[in-house]
Amino acid sequence: MLDTVVAAETPEGIVLELHPAGLAPRFYAFLLDWLIRLVIIYAAAMIAGFMGGVGMAFWLILLFALEWLYPIVFELGRLGATPGKKAFAIKVVMNNGLPVTPAASFARNLLRVADFLPFGYGIAVVSMLLRKDCKRLGDLAAATLVVHEPKPAPRVTLDKVEPVAPVRSLTPRDQAALVALAARAPTLTGERLDELAAMAAAVSGDQGHSGSAVTHRVLGVAQWLMGRR
Amino acid sequence: MADGQTLVTPLHFEELYQAEWTELEGLLDQLLRRKNTPRGAAAIQGERVAVLYRRACEHLALARARSYPAYLLNQLERLTADAHQVIYQRREFGVAKIRHFLNVDFPVTVRANAGYLWLAAALFYIPGIVIGWLMYQRPELILSVVDATTAASFEQMYSESAKAVGREAQGDWVMFGFYIRHNIGIAFQCFAGGLFAGIGSLFYLIYNGALIGAVAGYLTERGHGAIFWAFVATHSAFELTAIVLSGAAGLKIGHSLVMPGRLTRMQSLVEATRNCTPIVAGAAGMLLVAAALEAFWSSASWLPHLVKYGVAAGCWIGVVSYLCFQGRSAS
Repeated sequence: MLDTVVAAETPEGIVLELHPAGLAPRFYAFLLDWLIRLVIIYAAAMIAGFMGGVGMAFWLILLFALEWLYPIVFELGRLGATPGKKAFAIKVVMNNGLPVTPAASFARNLLRVADFLPFGYGIAVVSMLLRKDCKRLGDLAAATLVVHEPKPAPRVTLDKVEPVAPVRSLTPRDQAALVALAARAPTLTGERLDELAAMAAAVSGDQGHSGSAVTHRVLGVAQWLMGRR
Repeated sequence: MADGQTLVTPLHFEELYQAEWTELEGLLDQLLRRKNTPRGAAAIQGERVAVLYRRACEHLALARARSYPAYLLNQLERLTADAHQVIYQRREFGVAKIRHFLNVDFPVTVRANAGYLWLAAALFYIPGIVIGWLMYQRPELILSVVDATTAASFEQMYSESAKAVGREAQGDWVMFGFYIRHNIGIAFQCFAGGLFAGIGSLFYLIYNGALIGAVAGYLTERGHGAIFWAFVATHSAFELTAIVLSGAAGLKIGHSLVMPGRLTRMQSLVEATRNCTPIVAGAAGMLLVAAALEAFWSSASWLPHLVKYGVAAGCWIGVVSYLCFQGRSAS
């Protein structure tokens, strides 16, 4: 229910996990893009003021370009996202995780006209709040998705713990759970870590016991599973 | 090794393949130009990238099956996702692509959707002609469409005394900028309105048709017909056609939502949008042409009307026959 991961399978048979960006980051990104455009428009208006009629004409053409071409050009360009989206580490991809195609970028940005209704992107906001994958109408029609750029997970660092061989054989699921616990260890409080480790105490032959020594040995087993012997 | 333990531990696995991953990462850095690496070297090693990518996919599948720690899975996921993006990227730019679009894609797509096109044309032109005729009979009705000042300014724009036709005093370039935004805005509304079950497209087509018809009928009745028709004849070939094309695309989207057939509504919508995007792109191009003509050609009051009508006829014949015949042999 709460998880919003979208799975996309590649031709190589692996499943890529896409994390759709919610309303908040998309709103901030939009706000930043809007400010950037506003600054450009004002700066251009000042320059155009000196140039008279021709300046006015170029200003109007610039207004058109910023309104319609700004998102398309940035999405298809090397950056892969508008500066606003880049700043909040989100980007537009196709439903299957591929880079957005020119036709899709064109369609999703033209359909802003519909998303904008009745005012201030009202329909887009409602659509994004209602949908698990947080798409606005333009995304729906163009089959695109706005996703978070993946962030690297912290490495498991248990250098101070000496490896302990488990006292019994462990299923792959158990092993994964232990390693995941070890990875989370630095982010947990001591008491909570002891509590969690007590549940897994069987692996080091400490059933029914808890405390920092037990925790140390359980983490030692994780260390051993990671391959440090 | 005790049974139940995996044979290759995460660290051992990492040790075995880290070199390949680092190599792939380096190549991707070059290709995506994330770091300031010399360009060009990567282009030659495309095969190597593909090989390393497939290996990384295998490693990821293995690592998942063996429930390796999150950081390792995460590293492989990011690596494969990046490589996936690079390998399946579609480059759709360039002169050849644009030429193919103009020669084949655009007119062929328009003809493939001829039904929507006729419907959109009827929705646009019939109210225009009816309202126009009505205004011609009873010009006072214009006041129920626009207010008196606007009506007066229309008359002023197309009167004999106007320096340049169809506008107040601004220069050609200014009007070019204005027309681009204004006209493209109307066309995109006709298209995007399709998302509301086609009702938006219906509305904007009828509304704009009626409005344009009203102004045309009113000005003709008031005796400004000669100047007005000479002004609009040329660029309307592109502008009105582009509005009808955008409206047709909108109607197609609306139809796909209301009657999805054997697809789900979502599939049907995506399919329809993909199908009619070339029409809207082409229409946007036509609107740029229309804006340029309107600003620089239509407004030139020194041109004899005969020349304008001649060019206008050429444009209409050109646009219609382009949409009817271009790219038939290719398709």
